[in-house]
Amino acid sequence: MLAILIAAVFAAVELLPGDAANATSERGDSAADVAARRHLLGLDRPLWERFADWMTGLPTGDLGTSARGQKVTDLLADPFPNTLLLATVAFVLTAALSLALGCWTAARPGSMTDRIVGHAATSAFAIPEFVVSVGLLIVLSLWTGWLPAVTLTGADGAPATWTMLIMPALALVIPQTGWNTTIVRGALADQAATPHVEAAQLDGLSPHRVIWRHALPGAVPAVATGLATSTGMLLGGAVVVETLFNYPGIGSVLAGAVANRDTPLIAGVVVCAGAAISLVLLAADVIRARVLGASS
Amino acid sequence: MSVATTGRRPATADGRGRVLPRVTPAILLVLLALTGPYLAAHPLDKPVTAPFAPPGDGAPLGGDQLGRDVLSRLLHGGTALIGSALLVAFVVTLLAALIGCFAVLHPVVGRAVERTADVFILLPPVLGIMLIALAWPGGGRWAVISAATVLGIPYAVRVVAGAAAPLATAGYVEAALARGESVTYTATRELLPNLRGTVLALFGLRFVEAVYVISMAGFLQIGPQPPAADWALMIRENAPGILLNPWAVVAPSLTIALLAISVNLAATSLAPRSARKAVTTP
Repeated sequence: MLAILIAAVFAAVELLPGDAANATSERGDSAADVAARRHLLGLDRPLWERFADWMTGLPTGDLGTSARGQKVTDLLADPFPNTLLLATVAFVLTAALSLALGCWTAARPGSMTDRIVGHAATSAFAIPEFVVSVGLLIVLSLWTGWLPAVTLTGADGAPATWTMLIMPALALVIPQTGWNTTIVRGALADQAATPHVEAAQLDGLSPHRVIWRHALPGAVPAVATGLATSTGMLLGGAVVVETLFNYPGIGSVLAGAVANRDTPLIAGVVVCAGAAISLVLLAADVIRARVLGASS
Repeated sequence: MSVATTGRRPATADGRGRVLPRVTPAILLVLLALTGPYLAAHPLDKPVTAPFAPPGDGAPLGGDQLGRDVLSRLLHGGTALIGSALLVAFVVTLLAALIGCFAVLHPVVGRAVERTADVFILLPPVLGIMLIALAWPGGGRWAVISAATVLGIPYAVRVVAGAAAPLATAGYVEAALARGESVTYTATRELLPNLRGTVLALFGLRFVEAVYVISMAGFLQIGPQPPAADWALMIRENAPGILLNPWAVVAPSLTIALLAISVNLAATSLAPRSARKAVTTP
């Protein structure tokens, strides 16, 4: 799957007009200079040859060289872990919050709480992350002054203090929690209609006990799938949120890569993101298979 | 849910009276954004105040980073965003409805659709947009529109195919195929009319998704370029002055949020109960 995606990415960038040699050339470069750059970057070789080179380098952890002649791995070594940290924190928070909210509302089906949380969840998911970020900035920085508006980096390129993580993480968590709460709530509602859960309810067990011990285990596959699809949204959203908060992640690297039409660099980012998403999807599949007791 | 094999499903009696109040805000907001440019007091690119001036005389929402009137730019900034989002939602829904119906009747197409959707799940939409917009310099808004369309189709096809699958085994579809009707006829005349609710809800939710993706691209400065007025771009440009004139950032944020929420509400209220679970945005 990942290989097909990478091939598609590579093809898309190559087939459309313009190339990195033009994009990174300075004003006043002659055509000969551009041609020299093109040769230096290996852009004058046939496409399949470059693609084969790049693909064979992948398993060894070599992502090729960027349009500016640096190793892509070096360019991504510092920022990518930062983005992963941000996305992981957001992922854990999302999972915890959406499970809590989903179970809390499922225990009171049809109540006011249930309806309010349901509407809030679908609304939260519809709002782009950067709009949520603005809201957080206004409330947490401007009105209350609790948090700094900008992430400062320490000497090692990582965020200086952990409080810097709060706002970017929250901006990612709010929409995704909305999405996953809806899924958890729906899965629990489906489970509530199954015979064994109805039996447990008729036995007079408390709603919370019914949900925790009887409904939730059956809902796990659907919830795992939902959370897995959130990974892509979290990583994508992280790129945007980072630019707003000046968080030292791949967002800033990507912004530069877009300006320079830097195929290898963007492909590298797509590979890293795709690999991370694949891993989570795989984990979700494993969980599903274990719960269903059959390998799917 | 099993569909009775009696043919056409009756329209869901989902309280038609409750739909109207839920659809109205979205329609009003879209109309306001489309007529906004005619209501603006100041031209787009003429500084009328000091940079990041607080709200005052002549500029109810203050000035932006160049001292241009925030309210006028706000009224101008929604047209292109909503227009592009409508276009994307329309094209995606149309193609997805057709491909989805064929995928159900044609196992080969169905498998191809599943595979493509699987691959696309690995690509966050933001990265996809970046790739397409970047590989097409000078594409501007059209690059973003085509990127959003291409990236939206696989998932939408899945939704339609999921809703059409139970219908494909219904008696009337099998009867049509047995009569010797072509796959095209069966898909467009027998399947599609029974997916009205799903397709309508899908259109609404694709619109929300398109607003999300296009505004995201605008924020990343792909697509609309300064000095164009665009809500997402306004947020990006004026973020540095959020302490001086918060309205320059808050107003466009509010409009995007309101647009997304109201259209989302309208779409979910239009969906028939049976389709409500199937139609969810990724």
